[in-house]
Amino acid sequence: MKLLEYQAKEIFEKYGLSTPKGTVIDSKEDVAAKIAQAGLSYPVVIKAQVQVGGRGKAGGVKFADSGEEAQSIVDTLLFSDLKGLKVNKLLVVEKADVAKEWYLSILLDRKTNGPVVIFSAAGGMEIEETAKTNPDAIVNVPVNPLTGITAYFVNYVCSKSGVGMEYTKVLGELLTKLYKMFIEHSCMLAEINPVSVTSAGELVAIDGKVTVDDSALYRLPDVLAYRDAIEEPPLVVEARSFRFLYIPVSTGRVAVMSNGSGMLMSMIDLLSKKGVTVACALDLGGGATRDRIKEAVRIELSTPGVDTIFICIFGGITRCDEVADGVRMALENESSDKTVIIRMEGTNKDAGMEIVNSTKGAISVGGIVEGVETVAKVLKGGDAA
Amino acid sequence: MSILIDENTRLIVQGITGREGQFHTEQMLEYGTKVVAGVTPGKGGQEVLGVPVFNTVREAMEATDANTTIIFVPAKFLKDSIMEAVDAEVPLILTIAEHTPVHDMMLCRRLAHEKGLRLFGPNSFGIISPGKAKAGFMAHKIFSQGPVGFMSRSATNCYETVFMLTNRGIGQSTCIGIGGDMIPGTTFVEALPDFEADPETKAIVMIGEIGGDAEEQAAAYIKEHVTKPVVALIAGKNAPKGTSMGHAGAIVGEDGSGGAEGKEKVLKEAGCYIAESTEHVVDILAEILSK
Repeated sequence: MKLLEYQAKEIFEKYGLSTPKGTVIDSKEDVAAKIAQAGLSYPVVIKAQVQVGGRGKAGGVKFADSGEEAQSIVDTLLFSDLKGLKVNKLLVVEKADVAKEWYLSILLDRKTNGPVVIFSAAGGMEIEETAKTNPDAIVNVPVNPLTGITAYFVNYVCSKSGVGMEYTKVLGELLTKLYKMFIEHSCMLAEINPVSVTSAGELVAIDGKVTVDDSALYRLPDVLAYRDAIEEPPLVVEARSFRFLYIPVSTGRVAVMSNGSGMLMSMIDLLSKKGVTVACALDLGGGATRDRIKEAVRIELSTPGVDTIFICIFGGITRCDEVADGVRMALENESSDKTVIIRMEGTNKDAGMEIVNSTKGAISVGGIVEGVETVAKVLKGGDAA
Repeated sequence: MSILIDENTRLIVQGITGREGQFHTEQMLEYGTKVVAGVTPGKGGQEVLGVPVFNTVREAMEATDANTTIIFVPAKFLKDSIMEAVDAEVPLILTIAEHTPVHDMMLCRRLAHEKGLRLFGPNSFGIISPGKAKAGFMAHKIFSQGPVGFMSRSATNCYETVFMLTNRGIGQSTCIGIGGDMIPGTTFVEALPDFEADPETKAIVMIGEIGGDAEEQAAAYIKEHVTKPVVALIAGKNAPKGTSMGHAGAIVGEDGSGGAEGKEKVLKEAGCYIAESTEHVVDILAEILSK
């Protein structure tokens, strides 16, 4: 789960990291009063809380020198649409005192199977440019998860990056706090860009990106509480309530469904090779009872434009008659132009096939490749009609 | 021969008294696996299906000659259970739970490897050497004994391929569920030497996915050290970027890192056969093995 900037900063604060003084605004009333109440002095920066790349360039970051100016910016920016996402919240912060800008992040690295610290003395907007033109200016050091951040680790970062040994104390403190957060909050990524070095030599997190492992959310109630504030497609949220994973893929008439992610990927690959674009994929997980299958079919068919579902179920203990019955129940509630193509293998396969064959709109196939051929045929037939 | 799991496997089931643990213990016993002990704290002294239950892994290791453990506990307790098995120095530790926090696995992987222990999974069906023994929850009826070694990040793609292979009369030496998570206990490159050294394995199938660089690492190793034919299938070519495809590990970066094309390219350069689909894997194997 990717946190919004204000959420990331709230967690930073819990770990004693300095962030610019600020307040979150989610209504257009009395903006100047709210800014005054939060004790902010002008100029302030108003930042749209949406997860889009190039937020500043897209017009999601504005500066205001007065309450009136802030009010007029909020009037336009709040609830507007930024690269397809609705802006439900704005973060207003004091404009920072910046002497220097650094880049700092910790991420889970799959090459070393552990955390890696990335640091550069050239931070801010230029970090991606630096990565291309002067990669040596970016220090990339794996952390031993059994020892964590040590003094010699910080010495290496300061020495190697050229930032200077005079910063070992402040950077060491910052890194230790961020690493503690990274571990305790099961982060995939904790990034501060830029880290502002103030004229007094203090380090302030101007912007923050935090991604938390979804599998660890059960033990992170503070992060879970943030989920509602993040814009998600309604079908993703609805599918989750049934313990399904719904993945928007592209646009098109076809949806795929399976009891495993690997199979879903194979189905999408083979359909794409045939020139068929897949609108969405749904992973049922374990326990494919008829009621759950029925809900899954309904959810996929409520995806705009989708009228055809390709289902592949392969499991030794999955009962095929349950699967078929779920499809039958779902199709009974739909208009007659919907098609479900099913490939299934498991217990009670014959009974399942019998139900499929007597269900209008359902077609059974013997394998994944045959299923893909059938999908292509059904789509053609639909076009001709 | 076969690798890792066979007739000499003496298995502990951690979480044996739970619903899943008990059901699959029965399945494993039926298949011929020697299950020598179960572990559930507070249930020590009981028996499940004739298997003695202990309170701790250490006691199970002291009382039996176990050499492998499989952990049937929910993801939120997996870290403690792996650490317990590591501390008791069980040489081979198999994990299956879905949705395990990746930080937990990062730590456990390190702890197991520091002690020289083998750790597999999670988000995996386990390991089976058909005709000999199985440790896991795979539907064993579709497997048959033979010359093909399997390792797969995906259970469903592996089942599908094995099912067709068995129907074509081609069996398997050992099938390893590598698992779909970001940090597995064992990656492809760490399992390759076992297959290369096993005389029964004549061909190796690697079912990979988008995300990470496990396939690239395997390719580099295959090029230098593997003499047996390797058939590779990479799932997820057409998955949207920046979206995890259900398996936490199956994600292509916004910059295209971890993409299928790059993986196929280096695998091809390493001399692997690249399959387009599970059915294609079977066709390639049929041809290789008929030579």
